Amino acid sequence: MPNPTDQSETTISGIHAMRGGALTAPKGFWAGAWSQVLKRPGAVAGLIWFGFIALLAVYAPLIANGHPLLMRELDANGDVVATSSPLLEFLAPSQWVLLVAMTLLIPLVLLPISGTSRGQRAGAVIGATVQAFTILLAVSAIRAWLGRWGASDAEREFLGSDSAPAIVAATGAFIVSALFAFIPTIVRLAPRLAVVGVSGVVAGVIVAGTWSQPPETFQYEERELAGEIETVYTLVPWSPAQRPTDRSAAVLEPGATSAQALMNNVTIALPRGVPIDDASLALAARDIERLPLEGDAGTTLAGAFARQFPPSSGPTIDTVESWLMGQLAPFGTPYALGTDGLGQDVLSQMIHACRLSISIGVVSTSIAVLIGVTIGALMGYFGGWVDMALYRVVEIFMSVPVLFLLIVAAGVLPRSTYVMMAIIGCFTWHGAARFTRAEFYKLRGQDFVQSARAVGLPLRSILFRHMLPNGVTPVLVDASFAIAAAILFEATLSFLGLGPPDQASWGKLLAGATSEVGDFVPWLAIYPSLAIFLTVLSLTLIGEALRDAIDPKLKKARV
Amino acid sequence: MFSYVTRRLLIMIPTVVGITFLVFMLIALSPGGIGASLRQAGGQMEASQRALQEAYLEDRYGLNDPPPVQFLRWAARISPIKFGDRDLRDDSGLLIRPPKDVKLPPLAGVWYADDVTREDDPPRLPPAELGGTQAEQRLAYRQRSQAYARARGQFVEARLALEEALVAFATTVGLDAAIDNNEKPVIKAFRRIAPGTPRFNELVAADERALAASEAVVDAGNAAMEARSRAVEAQRELRAAFDAQPYEQVGIPIVPGVHLSAPDLGESFSRRRPVSDLIGEALPVTLMLNLIAFPIIYIVAVPCGMLAAVRRGSWFDVLSGLLFIGLWSLPRVSAGILLLGYAASDDGLGWFPVKGLHAPDADTFTFLPHQVDGQWQRGYLLDTLWHAALPVLCLVYFGFAVLSKQTRAAMLENFTADYVRTAKAKGVAPNDVTTRHVFRNSLLPLITIFATIFPTMLSGSVVIERIFSVPGMGNLLIEAIALRDRELLLANVLMISIVNLLALLLADILYALADPRVSYE
Repeated sequence: MPNPTDQSETTISGIHAMRGGALTAPKGFWAGAWSQVLKRPGAVAGLIWFGFIALLAVYAPLIANGHPLLMRELDANGDVVATSSPLLEFLAPSQWVLLVAMTLLIPLVLLPISGTSRGQRAGAVIGATVQAFTILLAVSAIRAWLGRWGASDAEREFLGSDSAPAIVAATGAFIVSALFAFIPTIVRLAPRLAVVGVSGVVAGVIVAGTWSQPPETFQYEERELAGEIETVYTLVPWSPAQRPTDRSAAVLEPGATSAQALMNNVTIALPRGVPIDDASLALAARDIERLPLEGDAGTTLAGAFARQFPPSSGPTIDTVESWLMGQLAPFGTPYALGTDGLGQDVLSQMIHACRLSISIGVVSTSIAVLIGVTIGALMGYFGGWVDMALYRVVEIFMSVPVLFLLIVAAGVLPRSTYVMMAIIGCFTWHGAARFTRAEFYKLRGQDFVQSARAVGLPLRSILFRHMLPNGVTPVLVDASFAIAAAILFEATLSFLGLGPPDQASWGKLLAGATSEVGDFVPWLAIYPSLAIFLTVLSLTLIGEALRDAIDPKLKKARV
Repeated sequence: MFSYVTRRLLIMIPTVVGITFLVFMLIALSPGGIGASLRQAGGQMEASQRALQEAYLEDRYGLNDPPPVQFLRWAARISPIKFGDRDLRDDSGLLIRPPKDVKLPPLAGVWYADDVTREDDPPRLPPAELGGTQAEQRLAYRQRSQAYARARGQFVEARLALEEALVAFATTVGLDAAIDNNEKPVIKAFRRIAPGTPRFNELVAADERALAASEAVVDAGNAAMEARSRAVEAQRELRAAFDAQPYEQVGIPIVPGVHLSAPDLGESFSRRRPVSDLIGEALPVTLMLNLIAFPIIYIVAVPCGMLAAVRRGSWFDVLSGLLFIGLWSLPRVSAGILLLGYAASDDGLGWFPVKGLHAPDADTFTFLPHQVDGQWQRGYLLDTLWHAALPVLCLVYFGFAVLSKQTRAAMLENFTADYVRTAKAKGVAPNDVTTRHVFRNSLLPLITIFATIFPTMLSGSVVIERIFSVPGMGNLLIEAIALRDRELLLANVLMISIVNLLALLLADILYALADPRVSYE
């Protein structure tokens, strides 16, 4: 709310001006708007939170991972035989690309490189990232095609050969890079080719290097206890999809440790409230023996258990639990925020879920803006029957609540992150289209557009080079709200069980908070709710501040 | 005004057709296609039996036709203006349609039964003389209809046997390309290798078993043709009986071949019930939740917005603004889960019911609360409100921010208007200026905001209904998605978009009624 008294401007007299008093370098349009945004504490807090979430999203695998960052293998004397980093070995190609790109982004943008602006450098990195992801998709498509059902023997043989990774990766990288080289992201050819080339080589190397990854297993804790290895973990020593190897994955409270998970496996079947009979004791001993412990540790522990609780001793469950906890104490990896119904760490899932939320929010909004601006520009510029026909299409999307369409599409199409980005983008573009249409309708009569037409510029140039920069502001301001909406859609769809199956998601965590039988798990409800709430709130505050800064008259339009 | 409303209603038709077409194509393009769950329905049956059941269902619902054809068929049933024969309606209210034509089995005229075409079918019979009383006529009709169903079933079986023979042939000659992923023959591929073509001779010459397999195909084809001619005969008989009109005809004729009749939403694949019944049960529930929610939003948000505008910059203004923005950012999923966990479940306060819209024995309640045998009974009305309290709470808080902000902005704009300054200058009491001048003029935009809130409320009710197990449209939609129930899904989207469009139209009409400056002529 700008208070009139805040904006008091000193009256500038002619003398002031002659002394150069009022002469400050004029700020650009966006820079001015940005400095207005930074004056609002709410918006600054929102930016900080969003930046924090974005940081977690990029570096999630380096923050929360069940594989140790460093692993030293020891021989019998305790000497180091080999050092490796299982974490890096198990990083997926998409994670590599994101890590490399985002780690490059900040220094490249901040360091002064002569001849280029910050915006250009950021654009180059983002373009290169998009290119790298396209290469990943292309290579996996080639791989899927070579390994398809009904492939010829020669194709199968090639896929199994040692040179296949290098050849396929190089082919995919080359084709995609050649296509990207034609997109005039950077006007001059040489730097464009350099960026495209570097991106292609890096993506190709990443794909070839991560060609065949073994299935993930997490056997480090047991090996460490047996003295075979030494490990250094990252901050949260769990992967989002890491399930305990025991059979009964119980929901654990925040602060519980993996010892608790192991113990639950034994005590879950024991009778409560009455002394434990011999049959149950025998069953418990068998369960202890079957615990996923290294070597014969399980058998030893079972023997100790049998000595501690001989037949007909009739211990209570509390004694058994406290004894077992003492024995299993070395298994002390804590679940800081508890686990979900599958025994997966909640904190790790929360951190990795930032990735899904932010990427779906940003990518689907970009898709929506791209479609919406193009269609809106055509409608506004041409008017007439083009406008009428296309506006019927816009009306179709306005006529049914978007969530209904999203549920139908997410329900019937394959469940994957990319599909979800595409459908959210394709069903929410009508807002951007309407904004652009209104702006272009105003602009098309103006002199600069008329003169651009008079000199015979191509339509593409008139629309996107001359009119768009003057008419895109409302769309960009609205993008902040659109990202928030997309994040909400993602959470809702994941909550309904229509999200990507192999991805941690805040909505999916929420879905585990209540069950059919009426149990309620508070930590599965509170933490994801808080994360979604804060993210949406910060985007809303940023969007409001941006809108007020750019167009004070628009303030009432929408929350 | 009348012409405006008519025009808007007419524009709705292409919009609704577009939206249903979009949904239909989405289902059709999805893996498994339309009726995917239908095809998986017989999970425990043997493979052969399941294939047979699939074939019956495909034949019954026309699932093998191209998706646009299926959509047109669906749209023709939905349309209130119908072309062609009028349907009949039996005493139990079920629609009876004229029997479908029997198509030729695949590859007829190419692999076997040379030079056969649809035109060879015998012409239609004149309407049958069923004779006797009405009851006897209907009995005769039912008998013919059963005979037709049997003949058609045998034809479906024969066609299935033909397809199996084709697959067997393709397997024998090692032609993988002629079998698709569902173990069905690719008809186009077989057309190219019909007997007599050089490619066929080549294939058969290589292997003796191939010749036997190709003969099996021809035999199966001839058997299918025989079954078809029996089915065609039964269809003609039934058609003649249908034309004799043993039951009442539905609809109002306009000109020959065109009549008006109520839209037919079809029968749900999964529930085996008319879709209109299911929608009829679910739509009122969703509408009820929304209709309870709307007045609450207006009652809370409008005074808050007013007060915030009058005391602009005060702590109330700032706090209510912050609170509403906060509420707006709280996802409905979270609100629902947290309320369910802390206010309803036994682990929490347990003050509210966990699921449903009525107590299990609500049917025995009286409408209003009263004493039964000296015991207090809350009655149907209170019971429903008690169950609806949490879902409605989840629906309303979202709208507070939008509406109060709009009220505040409208009030502030009017405070600076010339007429307000005039009123103040003339010495009108400040309270009167606020209530009688500013507020009245600020009311108008609040009507249009209805159009903004309503779609988000409908979206929200999907989630809320899911969380609180309320049997409304949202719950029905998710069930239809899970079972890939085409009819239910399309009807659901259709009804929701019609409701939504009508609400938007209502907002525009109200706006014109409230503001004499607005006219749509």
